Amino acid sequence: MFLLIKFTLLYAVVLMLVALGGMFSERSGVINIALEGIMVIGGLAGVFVLSLLGDKMPAPLLVAVSILVSALAGIIYSLLLGFSAITLKADQTIGGTALNMLATAIAIVIVKAFNNSAATGNGAASAKLTYSNAAFIYKIGPFTINIFLIIGILLLICSYVFLFRTKWGLRLRSCGEHPQAADSVGINVYQWRYIGVAISGALGGIGGFAYIVPSVTTWNFEVGVAGAGFLALAVMIFGQWKPFNIAAAAVFFAVFRSLANISDSTVLANLGLSKNIYSMMPFIASMIILAFTSKNSKAPKAEGIPYDKGAR
Amino acid sequence: MSEKTKNALLSIVASLVCIVLGLAVGFLVLTCINADNALDGMARIIKGGFHLKPKGIGSEIAQAAPLIMTGLSVAFAFKTGLFNIGAAGQYTVGVFGALYFALILHMPWYVCLLAAMICGAVWGAVPGIFKAYFNVNEVITSIMFNWIGLYLVNELMYTGVPGMYDQKTTRTYKLSSASPSSLIPDLGLNAVFKTNSTTIAIFLAVAFAIVVYVILSKTTFGYELKACGFNKDAAKYAGINEKRNIVLSMTISGALAGIGAGLYFLSGASEWNPQVSTALPAVGFNGIPVALLALSNPIGVIFAAIFVAHISVGGSYLPTKYYQPEIADLIVAVIIYLCAFVMLFKEMIRRSLGKKKRAEEAAKESGKGETK
Amino acid sequence: MLMENDYIIEMLGITKEFPGIKANDNITLQLKRGEIHALLGENGAGKSTLMSILFGLYQPTSGIIKKNGKEVKISSPNDANDLNIGMVHQHFKLVECFSVLDNIILGVEPTKGLFLEKKGARKKVMELSEKYGLKVDPDALVSDITVGMQQRTEILKMLYRDNEVLIFDEPTAVLTPQEISELMKIMKNLAKEGKSILFITHKLNEIMEVADRCTILRKGKCVGTVKIADTSKEELSRMMVGRNVSFSVDKKEAEPGETVLQVEHMTVPSKAHSNDAVKDVSFNVRRGEIVCIAGIDGNGQTEFVHGLTGLEKISGGTITFAGHDITKASIRERSKLGMSHIPEDRHKHGLVLDYTLEQNMVLQRYWQPEFQSGGFIKSKAVRDYSEKLIDQYDVRSGQGAVTVTRGMSGGNQQKAIIAREIDKDPELLVAVQPTRGLDVGAIEYIHNQLVAQRDKGKAVLLISLELDEVMDVSDRILVMYEGRLVGQFDPKEITVEELGLYMAGAKKKDVPAKV
Repeated sequence: MFLLIKFTLLYAVVLMLVALGGMFSERSGVINIALEGIMVIGGLAGVFVLSLLGDKMPAPLLVAVSILVSALAGIIYSLLLGFSAITLKADQTIGGTALNMLATAIAIVIVKAFNNSAATGNGAASAKLTYSNAAFIYKIGPFTINIFLIIGILLLICSYVFLFRTKWGLRLRSCGEHPQAADSVGINVYQWRYIGVAISGALGGIGGFAYIVPSVTTWNFEVGVAGAGFLALAVMIFGQWKPFNIAAAAVFFAVFRSLANISDSTVLANLGLSKNIYSMMPFIASMIILAFTSKNSKAPKAEGIPYDKGAR
Repeated sequence: MSEKTKNALLSIVASLVCIVLGLAVGFLVLTCINADNALDGMARIIKGGFHLKPKGIGSEIAQAAPLIMTGLSVAFAFKTGLFNIGAAGQYTVGVFGALYFALILHMPWYVCLLAAMICGAVWGAVPGIFKAYFNVNEVITSIMFNWIGLYLVNELMYTGVPGMYDQKTTRTYKLSSASPSSLIPDLGLNAVFKTNSTTIAIFLAVAFAIVVYVILSKTTFGYELKACGFNKDAAKYAGINEKRNIVLSMTISGALAGIGAGLYFLSGASEWNPQVSTALPAVGFNGIPVALLALSNPIGVIFAAIFVAHISVGGSYLPTKYYQPEIADLIVAVIIYLCAFVMLFKEMIRRSLGKKKRAEEAAKESGKGETK
Repeated sequence: MLMENDYIIEMLGITKEFPGIKANDNITLQLKRGEIHALLGENGAGKSTLMSILFGLYQPTSGIIKKNGKEVKISSPNDANDLNIGMVHQHFKLVECFSVLDNIILGVEPTKGLFLEKKGARKKVMELSEKYGLKVDPDALVSDITVGMQQRTEILKMLYRDNEVLIFDEPTAVLTPQEISELMKIMKNLAKEGKSILFITHKLNEIMEVADRCTILRKGKCVGTVKIADTSKEELSRMMVGRNVSFSVDKKEAEPGETVLQVEHMTVPSKAHSNDAVKDVSFNVRRGEIVCIAGIDGNGQTEFVHGLTGLEKISGGTITFAGHDITKASIRERSKLGMSHIPEDRHKHGLVLDYTLEQNMVLQRYWQPEFQSGGFIKSKAVRDYSEKLIDQYDVRSGQGAVTVTRGMSGGNQQKAIIAREIDKDPELLVAVQPTRGLDVGAIEYIHNQLVAQRDKGKAVLLISLELDEVMDVSDRILVMYEGRLVGQFDPKEITVEELGLYMAGAKKKDVPAKV
């Protein structure tokens, strides 16, 4: 049971963070399919910091630096989407897909090159990186909590406040609903959309880092993040682009995901269903839910439509 | 020069620009990793299969065939206003169909190919139905079903259906030994290229491309599908059943991807490894850059697919001592990113050429005092 | 005193070019303090462009703007706002899922520390609302309020920012005659309080009623500025169009025959509200007559047409057309029985913009044996047919039949649709706003086409928001208000003012299900 809770919380935080990121981007008007890729890049950056500096820094500093680096990497990578979607006004779905493919390729190339040069071996290098994740995990009584849970809750509250209680949130939302209205009162739609995309980069990057680090100490980058970025999109839609609904949706989906992890070690093993079946479940559950909720889905009105200031 | 020819030329130029820029980025990456061998590495990528002829060329041909099909799959969907990112999942399900009919039922190759097509079609229909009747974006549904398909197929091959998985090789059984009648005939091509998987698959793929081209541009069915893709509301107004067309379109798209799987696996090019549970076949996703480079034109898809197969094979010949073969994937991904704005390149070029012409045309149009 | 004659705003020698078109050509416009100044011109004359320049949405290619005698540069709405210039746009720029208050404060939000502080703003808004007689509910969502309140929200946006120069772009397009009177009163009030108002319109009655002076634009050039007290409707119209316009269509008496369309108790649900959009509508249309459904935009006409043509399902009632019950028939079946539809939104329904002109010409007929065989399109037949229509209806385009429709002008796009729909020789032609956005010459042409259909013994059902068109063209007028038919009239026996009362729901009369 504890295992189920542990894994659920782990996945829930990841899905929530990334879904919140997607929410910021879409609420500003840019569809962000590249979340999967941003997770990979953010995760890669953070893991590199751990790998290289793991034993050279005190734990709290290590945690802070690696998380900041993963956020920063996510922001920079997301700007590629921003540039393509906002400045060049290109198709956002294609741009996002490109960045997903690019991220996996970049990750493998960089990690292999790194391992190659470090090992000076002759054979094909592996795409794995090893690190210590002790700094991230705390034991409180019988529970193990990882720091991402706390960070996740903080970011959730900040997201809500920012979006609904500050003037910046009001302006960002107006860009995703009615950019012409925003423009006519002097709001710079392009700027706010970049901000929305950058926030999604930061949250996605941290989310990717949170996906990789707490559970294992070696990560094979050929695997990527196994569809978590896309599940986060379903979470965002199910949560109707509202922060607290997204959090609830994330927990819901995470339950399914964690069933797959514990399937061979608990009561569920008796059911005789293999790992593959459990792996399918979050996706099937998503589809069923989306089928029922999409008829009345209230997406940000102007999302996906590039804004052209000079359009006559 | 007629408007149509001018349009075609502009498209080709725009695509070429994307390719050149993509290759340039690739070269940059090679230099960053190992500057001394960068030139040689780039040369290998550009030479593609010709680096190691004739085997390399044969390999290129074998890889191009399924890529033409996935490219057609994505292009067909694009033409009808849909983004079929699920080609990889439809391909995977097609693999199952082909291999089941081959390894278990020992059917001749054309029946297996048909099975692959039908499996792909079903897997494509699902996102179509979700979009038409439940208003769920086809991108999300396709992505979900990519993963569902992968896990399902792995499960079936690994434990569900005995007789497909060979414990010893951790892969499915080789067709040449288990069911030779299911192999696509090669009509002597294998001898020419000194490979064992170069078959008439490539010709079949080209034939399918031509069929798709004819359907899209010369039939009323194609007219209806494109109308739906361009403007769902006007299509409805014209009495076209847009819901039915969305489903049909995705079904055909899925079928094309399924055929691709059949062409590849029934040529004996490879066996399926159900243990690799997180990797969807790259050929499914590479259909996207192929379709984009070809600007969704079925005939263009043939050339774009050959190009992508070409540089992928070239990438595999990079000396692993210095470089990772994934660099070819990187180049392809950069090309897709650029392709997102290939339409823009086209418009920019067109606009700078057309400024004068448009003033003339505007003058021609005025008469009974037209306003906007 | 000389001060009163000072110009608060001067736009001198303004020229604005877009690729291929000169929207404004050396225009000079001067606004006096405290005056209501109308800007008159047909669609496409350049009025909106000129005001967009004043509001900072566009930059002029050449020319200068002065405020209070000093030259200024307005490069964005922020600059305009800093100069106390505000604009109420024709298509409201309101965020629908925000409240009225949020929309008003957007861009100038009051804050306390990091957070929004709306109490003070709310107070100011309610005070302004009181002072100028602009009734609003600050917490209501824009999507839930009436068009009139939405417009008042836009006005409050300007007043909240202490704007002195107020620009109104076609403000009466969406209002009932009663709401228009209210707006005129509000504008006069604002001018009395010292605000200077520029108001764009093509409606002569309103200008005569409320403006002090008027500048007329024609095809991008300024034709002149006149004092309203010294001019007349006819003179304004002549300056606007450049020639004497006959305000009525020349047509002979109608000779209606048997009933072609019978609608009984038709009810259509609304997508936005739980109330029905069309409630229990019954009427008939006969051969050889033009019946017009008049009403303010948003009273169910759109849903009615969608239900009639098959674009939407109806939830009650029956439709009988040419002797068949088509209540549940598909769009194509209705078309086959002889119904033609010139849609309200030519870009949404009428054309596939990315198709060529010839592909659009056969949009309703591509499946007929004339144009296809065994599923394969007969390109030559399509080409010949399109060229015939292009010739007959004078549809102009850059490359003829192979022009991509997106590149054609609105007027020619509309002509293409009309050509296609009329050539089908329909028993019933349903024309919704067929002359919207077109200039006088094209309008005249289309009206003649409608009358020609009627004289041939066909039936025409016209849906229009332009009262002039309604009075001139129709043989019988039905008024629709909030989804019901509230009156049936002979255009020769009713005045526009009286019609307006019915359109606004102030009066009601029973409408017979069948004449």
